[in-house]
Amino acid sequence: MMQMPGQEKSRIFPVFVMGLFCITVMAGLLGTLLPSINYLPVIGHTQFSLSPWFDFFAYPGFQTSLFVTLFSGLTASFGAVSLAFLFISFSYGNALWKFFEKILSSVLSIPHAAFAIGFGFLIAPSGWLVRMVSPALTGFIDPPDWIILNDPAGISLGIALVIKEFPFLIMVTMGALGQLDIEKILLAGRALGYKKEQIWLKILLPRLYPHLRLSIFAVIAYSLSVVDIAIILGPSSPPTLAVLILKWFNDPDVSFKLLAAAGSLFLFFIVLLSILLVYLIERSVYFFSRSFVTNGKRNSFLARIKPMVFFIVMCTIGFTIISLVVLAIWSLTWQWRFPDFLPAVWTLKFWVKGLISSFDPVMTTLFTGMAAAFIGLVLTIGCLEHDVISRKNQAGHNKVRNYNRYLPYFLYLPLLVPQITFMAGIQLLLVIMKMDGYWVTLLGAHLLFVLPYMFIALSATYLAFDQRLFDQAMLLKRSYTSVLFQIKLPMLLKPILFSFAIGFSVSVAQYIPTMLVGAGRFATITTEVVNLASGSDRRAIAVYALIQQFLPMMIYALAIIFPKILYYNKKGMQV
Amino acid sequence: MSLELEKVSILKQGSTIFDPVNVVIKPGEIATVMGPSGCGKSTLLSAVSGSLDPVFTLKGSIRLYGQDLLTLPMEGRNIGILFQDDLLFPHMNIGSNLGFAIKEKISGEQRKQMIDKALKTAGLEGFEKRDPSSLSGGQKARISLLRSLLAQPSALLLDEPFSKLDQTLKAKIRSFVFSMIKKMNIPALLVTHDPMDCPGGGMILNLNKEEG
Repeated sequence: MMQMPGQEKSRIFPVFVMGLFCITVMAGLLGTLLPSINYLPVIGHTQFSLSPWFDFFAYPGFQTSLFVTLFSGLTASFGAVSLAFLFISFSYGNALWKFFEKILSSVLSIPHAAFAIGFGFLIAPSGWLVRMVSPALTGFIDPPDWIILNDPAGISLGIALVIKEFPFLIMVTMGALGQLDIEKILLAGRALGYKKEQIWLKILLPRLYPHLRLSIFAVIAYSLSVVDIAIILGPSSPPTLAVLILKWFNDPDVSFKLLAAAGSLFLFFIVLLSILLVYLIERSVYFFSRSFVTNGKRNSFLARIKPMVFFIVMCTIGFTIISLVVLAIWSLTWQWRFPDFLPAVWTLKFWVKGLISSFDPVMTTLFTGMAAAFIGLVLTIGCLEHDVISRKNQAGHNKVRNYNRYLPYFLYLPLLVPQITFMAGIQLLLVIMKMDGYWVTLLGAHLLFVLPYMFIALSATYLAFDQRLFDQAMLLKRSYTSVLFQIKLPMLLKPILFSFAIGFSVSVAQYIPTMLVGAGRFATITTEVVNLASGSDRRAIAVYALIQQFLPMMIYALAIIFPKILYYNKKGMQV
Repeated sequence: MSLELEKVSILKQGSTIFDPVNVVIKPGEIATVMGPSGCGKSTLLSAVSGSLDPVFTLKGSIRLYGQDLLTLPMEGRNIGILFQDDLLFPHMNIGSNLGFAIKEKISGEQRKQMIDKALKTAGLEGFEKRDPSSLSGGQKARISLLRSLLAQPSALLLDEPFSKLDQTLKAKIRSFVFSMIKKMNIPALLVTHDPMDCPGGGMILNLNKEEG
């Protein structure tokens, strides 16, 4: 009805995004492929050969490194996904679920590096957990010589990954649950005599899974290729594959870049294989569970592990909060001898020092994060508006083709290919074209990871906007842009600012893109934190980690407070 | 005996929403609760089914074949419900939807026979492999009833089950539902705002609230 001329032009947004994502990921893969077959003219290698691959497989410690990568990555993914499914089945709608819903965005805003550092301070042999019970229960006067941090099997790394991935999966689930008639199906199932857990297992999880598939794949790819957490908590000799690759990439001996290229491509294959494996498991579970679904069994053995699942979920929340507390304590410490529960002497010295020395990195982080989130917002709203327009014009004469249908697959590309694989490739291509080390390319690299999360965060609310209000405004005003900017966007201010905050926090947390595409020329608070993490003074690290945590928190707080102030006298906007 | 509601009243914030209800429904009988929307008839039904919202409190007693229902959770009451919507699981075919309802103790071949037989009584032979969304409104309504009955409930609740069907279909489905209840010989409680829905000769309860 309200078709305006030129609306089909809105397709420029999804087309641009799909093009950008496709081209950069492909270019990144090409940029790794060429050096991996010994082609890197800048260092004089132009003879194609498989020697980087042979060198890679023959590298001492390769097998151990592969094993620890697979073990920590796959068990962490499996743990996070099962925990998320069990938690949904047991808790959907109850008090713990509602509490989790409230704290979810603050939990998600915690940068990986800051969390990993706090978590390390907590579980280390000289960490807060041991101090809490020493010497009263343990009798320890000196820290025990347990290898908990950086354990060779990557167990502490795996646990940290589960704690970080679990809330992400819950966020994606909450978005998907709105599309299913959960309450009604639960009623129908219970009227047939089924327990809630069994209804989730037999009916709801199979319906939910397709909505979560891509996110689960992203969790697998992330867990297998994570760098910052692995540097802080993972094993060191040998480290996980991704850390090893970064080490080679930054080696002063440039010929190691060939090895790094082969390694990162190998890591990509590992991720692809793992995703394929999970897909095959999914298909076979669907196939073999048919008789299970209709066998009439109404009780579930799962009910017995309910208390355990609650306990683990409480632990993930508890560890996240206590990690921040222990960071705060360390940042204010002057002297803290081992079995003491709290420091003996406190000081603000490290804060003063840290705030001064981190000024430049903080500024870089702020500018990059703001710019990336702003561009991300424009693109997200552009794509979503295109979606709305083409849905509205499905039937009429002026049918607008919906380019958004395939958009999610493109948006997920940077999350499914290991960061280090295609970021390394892009960096090598930029070096070849002598375009490396510009802020604009760094911004573009951040955008690739910022945009997917912003899109996931905003789309459900944006698409649920009451179209009748828009049509009504169009009848009165007859100008698409003024209705969009004066009516729709101000009404959606809260979710829009929220999506902005998510984009900003994702940008803040980026380590690999900043290290590689920034060519070491841009220090952000995150690169500083990770670089400090190995071996520096705990007190200085704690200050940096808290500053890293503070930046996204500040933006989240603004995103919550600003609409409240702006609409303080509008009751209809305070939902 | 059978389904008994004795002095049942429901309170919200300390005040009752309708006068106490007393009714005994014998096997094969259908009692109808009438009243305009908002009079609390759906709330009464959820009290019997066990899905009463915690903002309400229930007084009185509800017994099924002598057993006190109020201490049991919804899934433990062995009461089937027919909703306004068919609530068929859209990702499963008709056969699986029906198989889901059959009790565990009934095994393999017998399950299949029960499904076949049920489909036959509804005139829907050979529908096992069909996708629920390919069915007409009337067919879905019948499958939904079959599913509720295959769970062998001791009583059936009907929550405005005909309100979304068009006029011509209504009469057909209505008589199918009523005849199945007679055949199964279970007590049924029907909630509706349409006087046409009442089965001939059945009990009618009007939910009132005396002012004062």
